[in-house]
Amino acid sequence: MAQNDPILKIKNLSVAYGQVKALTDISIEVLKGEIVVLVGANGAGKTSIMETVLGANVPVSGTIEFKGKSIGGVPVDKNVRNGMYLVPEGRGVFSSMTVMDNLLLGAHHNLKNADSKLELVFDSFPVLGNRKSQVAGTLSGGERQMLAIGRALMSSPEMILVDEPSIGLAPIIVNDIFEILVNLNKEGYSILLSEQNVYKALKIAHRGYILETGKMTKHGTADELLNDPAVREAYLGA
Amino acid sequence: MEVLIAQIFNGLSLGSIYVLLVTGFNLLLLVAMIIHFSFPVVVVFSMYVSWAVMTATGMVPLGILAGILSAIAVNVVTAPMFQHIMKKRGSVDINATMVISMGMGMIITDILSHTFNQGFPIAFPDALTGNDKGALISTRLISISRGQVLTLIIGVIFVLFLFWLLYKTRAGRAFRAIAEDPNGAKLVGIPLLKTGLQSYALTGILGGVTAVLMAVLLGSASAGLGDQLGHKVLAVSIIAGLGNLKGGLIIGLLLGVLEAVIQGYLAGSWSNAIAFIIMLIVILAKPKGVFGSSL
Repeated sequence: MAQNDPILKIKNLSVAYGQVKALTDISIEVLKGEIVVLVGANGAGKTSIMETVLGANVPVSGTIEFKGKSIGGVPVDKNVRNGMYLVPEGRGVFSSMTVMDNLLLGAHHNLKNADSKLELVFDSFPVLGNRKSQVAGTLSGGERQMLAIGRALMSSPEMILVDEPSIGLAPIIVNDIFEILVNLNKEGYSILLSEQNVYKALKIAHRGYILETGKMTKHGTADELLNDPAVREAYLGA
Repeated sequence: MEVLIAQIFNGLSLGSIYVLLVTGFNLLLLVAMIIHFSFPVVVVFSMYVSWAVMTATGMVPLGILAGILSAIAVNVVTAPMFQHIMKKRGSVDINATMVISMGMGMIITDILSHTFNQGFPIAFPDALTGNDKGALISTRLISISRGQVLTLIIGVIFVLFLFWLLYKTRAGRAFRAIAEDPNGAKLVGIPLLKTGLQSYALTGILGGVTAVLMAVLLGSASAGLGDQLGHKVLAVSIIAGLGNLKGGLIIGLLLGVLEAVIQGYLAGSWSNAIAFIIMLIVILAKPKGVFGSSL
């Protein structure tokens, strides 16, 4: 696949939970090698988009293409095998299991390459290597976030979905995490990021989409959005 | 002293049966998310199948195989019923699974008491139990049978195998992930229904092996045995802490030893009542189980 081809293409997506409409007519593209950020307040639908792309929700209407193929109705485990992995909101690490077990869960469908992947992850996150036999429940918030990212890398993904990584972390740790995401992107991973920390997220992203109560209100390059008066007023307090 | 050692040995053999049953029960609870307190009834059903095949063909190995296969079959065949009400994983409707389990238990117990051996208790051939060869160790006071030694050895090996599988293998990791957080496991690509089905198959094998070990150790079975064991397994699991695998291991062994010691020194026929009184006291002191629930 050439650079600048969309790795993910969402078209006119609508999702409902029973009678409650969660997403209406959402269209989003992530090009190969991009960081794209979804910004919006709580309940704007960021997590719904992530989970629907991943295959955990069934859309009411619309299409989702990953690497040029429709993935409507494809279950999560198949999408994971196909090269997509979620770093869930709240990290989603298994706190009763060791760091090592959590990482190996990421390689659940790809255990053959686990050893070489582990080496890479421990190189990037030495703290995980030092604590590999500790249970994840003993890690700090930032370490858990690293574990969740490391677990994603274990699956050899092409696109990583990162849902609200900054929640509950100290600002200085958030900077570390965002730096990690930028480095991963430089290594070639495409990233779909959702964030409430609009300024920091737009600073590292190539493009962004603004969501309000399940609808898309605006999209553009990160610079365009950062300089948009309406965006500045609503999200950047300026 | 000699009696105490012998009874502890007895108790460990019996306890390893409890441990196998409790581990199966806990696995179904944690991974498949059902309260299957009739799991021991399925195990007793397999004992009956095993006995029927042995009696009909005269071949012990064939009977053993049939027992193990029947436990796997019952588990996997009933899985869709449980999975149907579990389709919305995450929002666990454990109460409905209890009703299904209860119904299964009643039906199987009825089948056992009407169709096999005209409802009389069944006795396994000496070729399986080794009782014709006499005790392995016998002194003036005690005797330890081949069956007890065999049960203990195979029980220990199988429990070690189970824990190895749970803590060192890919499937075991997936089991534990689902046990901790089903929705989280789904989001990182663990297929819930498929992994749940694997846990049914595994507990089927476990149940089958347990059935054969019980046949060797007890030498006989009756239709009511499953219910009796079902109560004990539920009690052990709750006292250890529901879903606590390591806790179940310890409490299962302790219950076996406790019963055996009571039988050795007090009136044997009261061993159930006394064991339950002690368990009642423990549960009053520790309502969430001695080792804490993993749910």
